[in-house]
Amino acid sequence: MASDSSANASPDRTPELRAKIAAELEGVDFVLGYGRGFDPLHATPVTVRSEKDLGRLIFDPTCVQNLATSLYGLRGKRLGVVVKGCDSRSVIQLLQERLWERENLVIFGLPCEGVIDLAKLRASMDVASVKAASFIGSPRNGLLRLTLPEGGREVVIEKESAGLLADKCLRCQYPNPLVSDHVIGPETLPQGAQDTYADLAALEKLSTQERFDFWKRQMGRCIRCYACRNACPLCVCKHVCLADSREPHWLSAEATLQEKWLFQVMHALHLAGRCTECGECQRSCPMGIPILLLKRMMNRELKELFNYQAGVSLEAIPPLHTFLMEEDRIKDRGLLW
Amino acid sequence: MSGSATTSLTLGYYPGCSQTGTAAEYDRSSRACCQALGVRLVDVPDWTCCGSTPAHTVDHVLAGALAARNLLQAERIGHDRVATPCPSCLAALRTASQHLAQDVQPDSNAPEDMAPSFRAEVERLLDRPAPLRASAVSVLQVLAEDVGIAAIASAVKKPLTGLRVAPYYGCLLNRPPGLMAFDDPENPTALDRVLTACGATVVDFPFKTECCGAAFGMPRLDIMQRLSARILDMADTCGADVIVVACPLCQMNLDLRRGQVNDHSRRQGGREFSLPAPYFTQLLGLALGLAEADLGLDKLVLDLRPVLEAARAREQKRALEVAAVAAAKTAAKAAAKADGTSGQKPGKPGSEPGPKEDAPCA
Amino acid sequence: MRIGVMVCHCGNNIAATVDCEAVALAAREFPDVVFATDHMYACSDPGQKTIEQTIRDLKLDGVVVASCSPRMHEVTFRRAVERAGLNRYMFEMANIREHVAWISLDRKRNTEKATDLVRMAVEKLRYDRPLTAKSFEVHKRVLIIGAGVAGIQAALDCAEGGLDVVLVERRQSIGGIMSKLDKTFPTIDCSVCVLGPKMVDVGQHPRITLHTLSEVEELSGYVGNFEVKIRKKSPFVDWTKCTGCGACLEKCPSKKVPDRHNEGICTTTAITIPFPQAIPKRAAIDPTVCLRFTKGKCGVCQKVCPANAVDYDMQDEVLTEKVGAVITATGLDLFDHTKCGEYGGGRYPDVITSLQYERMLSASGPTAGHIKRPSDGAEPKTVVFIACVGSRDRSVDRPYCSTFCCMYTAKQAILTRDHIPDAKAYVFYMDIRACGKGYEEFIRRAQEEYDVQYIRGRVAQVYPTSGPTGGPSGGQLMVRGADTLLGAQVEIAADLVVLAVGAEAAHGAPELAEKLRISCDAYGFFLESHPKLRPVETNTVGIFLAGACQAPKDIPASVAQASAAAGKVLALLSKDKLESDPQIAQVQTIRCIGCGKCERTCPFGAIRMRELRDGSKRAEVVETVCQGCGICSVTCPVRAIQLAHFTDSQLLAEVNALCRTWDETTES
Ligand SMILES: Cc1cc2nc3c(=O)[nH]c(=O)nc-3n(C[C@H](O)[C@H](O)[C@H](O)COP(=O)(O)OP(=O)(O)OC[C@H]3O[C@@H](n4cnc5c(N)ncnc54)[C@H](O)[C@@H]3O)c2cc1C
Ligand code: SF4
Ligand code: SF4
Ligand code: SF4
Repeated sequence: MASDSSANASPDRTPELRAKIAAELEGVDFVLGYGRGFDPLHATPVTVRSEKDLGRLIFDPTCVQNLATSLYGLRGKRLGVVVKGCDSRSVIQLLQERLWERENLVIFGLPCEGVIDLAKLRASMDVASVKAASFIGSPRNGLLRLTLPEGGREVVIEKESAGLLADKCLRCQYPNPLVSDHVIGPETLPQGAQDTYADLAALEKLSTQERFDFWKRQMGRCIRCYACRNACPLCVCKHVCLADSREPHWLSAEATLQEKWLFQVMHALHLAGRCTECGECQRSCPMGIPILLLKRMMNRELKELFNYQAGVSLEAIPPLHTFLMEEDRIKDRGLLW
Repeated sequence: MSGSATTSLTLGYYPGCSQTGTAAEYDRSSRACCQALGVRLVDVPDWTCCGSTPAHTVDHVLAGALAARNLLQAERIGHDRVATPCPSCLAALRTASQHLAQDVQPDSNAPEDMAPSFRAEVERLLDRPAPLRASAVSVLQVLAEDVGIAAIASAVKKPLTGLRVAPYYGCLLNRPPGLMAFDDPENPTALDRVLTACGATVVDFPFKTECCGAAFGMPRLDIMQRLSARILDMADTCGADVIVVACPLCQMNLDLRRGQVNDHSRRQGGREFSLPAPYFTQLLGLALGLAEADLGLDKLVLDLRPVLEAARAREQKRALEVAAVAAAKTAAKAAAKADGTSGQKPGKPGSEPGPKEDAPCA
Repeated sequence: MRIGVMVCHCGNNIAATVDCEAVALAAREFPDVVFATDHMYACSDPGQKTIEQTIRDLKLDGVVVASCSPRMHEVTFRRAVERAGLNRYMFEMANIREHVAWISLDRKRNTEKATDLVRMAVEKLRYDRPLTAKSFEVHKRVLIIGAGVAGIQAALDCAEGGLDVVLVERRQSIGGIMSKLDKTFPTIDCSVCVLGPKMVDVGQHPRITLHTLSEVEELSGYVGNFEVKIRKKSPFVDWTKCTGCGACLEKCPSKKVPDRHNEGICTTTAITIPFPQAIPKRAAIDPTVCLRFTKGKCGVCQKVCPANAVDYDMQDEVLTEKVGAVITATGLDLFDHTKCGEYGGGRYPDVITSLQYERMLSASGPTAGHIKRPSDGAEPKTVVFIACVGSRDRSVDRPYCSTFCCMYTAKQAILTRDHIPDAKAYVFYMDIRACGKGYEEFIRRAQEEYDVQYIRGRVAQVYPTSGPTGGPSGGQLMVRGADTLLGAQVEIAADLVVLAVGAEAAHGAPELAEKLRISCDAYGFFLESHPKLRPVETNTVGIFLAGACQAPKDIPASVAQASAAAGKVLALLSKDKLESDPQIAQVQTIRCIGCGKCERTCPFGAIRMRELRDGSKRAEVVETVCQGCGICSVTCPVRAIQLAHFTDSQLLAEVNALCRTWDETTES
């Protein structure tokens, strides 16, 4: 699907992207980018190994995936990777934690105006029936034009794309890649105001009991498919993940609320100071459990305690990866004796 | 160039009751100075009592609610910093913000017999939620920090050269330190710096924060007389021409009640004091070249003008003397040169702006 | 596995509120428990015998004792199981005294909780594995940092005990604060007269290597095997040649340098010997004020030195020493009173500190023992002392008591009346803290024999009576304060005001703590391992504390702690080999992903990264350095580091033993 060109249209970055990748192909094993998926509303990761793969590359608001997720498993190779602003934070986090080497990575950074959340579209229509889709104007204030079958004919409907943007895009502070070798096209402006954590505030309005019930309901629905874990670019334990480990035996395979909940809490805690809120965990959850809330809670706490945000600086050291006798904002000394 | 500083700042402004009466000149001069320095003050709409007197002696929740109401009014028109000239109002307003900020929402599971929180009480009294963000600052702090000493100095048109001033802060302006969070509580210097920027000579005044007797002027006149007399005595001893104040109540004790203070001093065999006690904004206004009428100089009981005249005359005389000395020196040198006996390094003395080097410090 | 359980009554300490018999009965039902009993005193000889006998008779693999805190008797019981042939780590202790019996009177619920704790211990024991300690050689030398009276005492004690001592002092001479004092309370004996001989001993002792003008730059290694880097600052004088004759001092033209030894009340030269009794008595140049260094001219000292010792090109030197233990004795610095605007904030020359006053009182000081006002040199007739300046004052973030100011103030007031019999001495105080031997009597003497006027209250303000522009000369200072006993305000016209400034940790103490990997409190005083039971140890094995670096202390207490630290070091290094604690971190190499996070967080530097043959990296724990704190283990994203004896599985077993009822209560 091609983006219509109109007055406020976003630049089509695909040609430049292809050109830049072509120029780098020689030095890398392959480049990870986006291609069209099984239907017009889905993108899918593609690997570009040679010139002939270039034609498969696309970039538009359906490119929701965080390609950094694949990186850790491909350690030891020399790769190119296509990242949006948010995805670049995952890359920074991986580099900063020495989980990848910068010199083995060529980063193609795409300034981004937002991606769409299919769940939002699904709420009002049958997404599977869409025959063709195109974006008109900037996703921030343009339209999504869909072609649908109706009684043998095809009809075209239009939706305002702003209403379909992913929540993370609405509060996005870093639409431009924070680390890259090539920036494709002009930079864009952040669209969100400062993150006020309104979602958490709403949850915290509930009484303790109500909140407990909320999570009991949500966690009870988890089917332990581990999609969230597998989608997370920073869940690097892979075959030694505690969820599968017998020694130590943190979790049993029982399908009880206790085990499910403990898994999610563990997932969140292991990402304290690391999670960049790319939202892949929640997006990939087939049960639609709002697990990003847990991570945002951790992040808000980290911001308050350590004034730290993950994945924005290569030089920073995550607060939980350091040891200080006395933290500025934690006064525990007085409690000792 | 208009000479006004480049600052462009808009703040809420809470005058407080005394600014409409006994301290009208403080209000007028504060507004004039701020305007001249590029600070726009927007009055808090429909402001009421700040709760400082006498509400807070009777019911501190009620006092807090009064203060909070004014700040909420300011927020309503989009200002979360509110400037006020009066230290007493400042204390009341800041106390309310601090208490509300520190007050956590009581847990819904809290035991019944726990007293309702300060916030809950205030909200009940105001009949609306008080998610207060606004806080108050003194006009002095705005001038010293937001505008800045350098900007003030560069906006001065008629420096108060030669005027010896004793800066008197009073007890409240920066205390308690935890609440006011401005300047050193024991030896504050903001006024010193502002006045120095105006070109005045600030004397090292040890009684900057001594008690003037405050509201004791009513129930126990003798106490107020004794304390204010001490302050004036020290200012006089330090050789000050004027004692400069920043608080309506101090000003009242040191100016309006001067007759009472002098009575007392005389009875104790002490001196009478004639040094005027203007607000710092009045002196600042003069230095900025503002009209006397805009500064309310006529409202002062002890006229400021003769002192200014005297300082000016003194300064002129001194300048003449200095110039004379310098002229004599150059003449002598020229003579020596004519003699052909000049052994001194040529050029150097002539290139110096003579008077400055020899100026005796006051 | 075969587990035995013993529940202790601790006389009535536990049995009064816990049904010990019932706990033992319940324990018999726990998995793998083959024996459970209760006992009056498990730690007593019969108690220990029972444990040993049962192990042998029933062929037990492990033992649980439910009694007091492991801090008390864990070692006792570990020895007992070892005597019976078990590994000492096949033992667990449940604390049912401090954690149960002493905190609640509800016998029924206490018994339930005690049972739960025993269940936890049993479950953990089921996952315990035998661990064995390794032994390593030690260096029989000790490093002592700071040579005030505490460092000096510790050095002499260690040297007498047969250890080689490396003594590091950052000033030019040893002696610390005590070398600046005139007399000492409560005996009013001459300070340098008692300290001097000890300083000389340090200078001459064959086992003591003294490094002055030196600081510790880095400490690595572990107990028994520390390696320390010492930076010796250049004195620009060859101390092997300098004889301390002082010829250079007389000729140095730079004479306006504030004299540090005299607390700045007089000036000295750029090349100095700080005081006549200095050890080592050698000259040194301060390059920040020497004309040769600042202006590039001069060179007089080099010309006049008869020994030809002056060398302007001399460089700093960095030495490395190997030691087995460390004693820190870095002492104290004094509160900066210029923070207190109410006392003039440093603006009035006649407001001085107590230590400046000591120098004035001292016969070897700049005024040769005559008390003179700095402003005009006149003899003061009224001296006001203000106590607690920078002590017990939250407004300047010094909430603690400096402990010795009350006493030295009394001493100085007495000496004032001695020196100037017609002078009046006033002391403004908050409380008088005189709880040492002979101290209260000393205060009484000041009040009764010497007629020192004690006024209980704080001083609100000190101001010059003549007005500062009039110049202070001849003028007095008015001291205004509260007399809380009279409930009145008092004003005293003083000729001299002496501030009893409080103690602060020596500047740079927190940075030193970081280098040594010991802890300090928010004020920079070093933290002892336990405030009551381990007051000279730190949490880093092999590093000990002496003197005022741990908390403000007077001389007797500093000396006592110094000797205690020396005793600890002597005991530690009396062994040829030390055993390392096996409760340390262990890396599971197959899990480790080589991210190096553990290396970054380990506060003791116990982890290094090792390269495998394929070039990838893995973490490795240096066993002797690891303190078993467990920080790495929680940092490791893949749980590849486990703390032996506190593995995830062991801790989980405990948690699960405790949380058996979760589902029942919450999943309804
Ligand atoms: C005015 C005054 C009067 C006093 N009068 C008395 C009295 O009469 N009787 C009494 O019992 N007590 C008195 N005291 C208390 C007494 O001074 C202390 O108890 C004592 O000095 C503590 O000894 P110390 O060795 O622990 O510390 P210090 O004397 O402070 O010595 C510490 C030494 O360590 C050195 N040092 C610091 N940091 C480092 C470093 N990083 N590296 C190397 N070296 C370092 C310092 O230079 C210093 O030489 C008085 C204190 C004061 C301030
Ligand atoms: S936890 Fe979720 S939001 Fe955070 S980095 Fe992982 S996938 Fe992204
Ligand atoms: S347990 Fe880990 S972090 Fe702690 S000292 Fe040992 S290696 Fe370092
Ligand atoms: S933190 Fe864990 S995974 Fe990373 S290097 Fe250390 S042991 Fe290995």
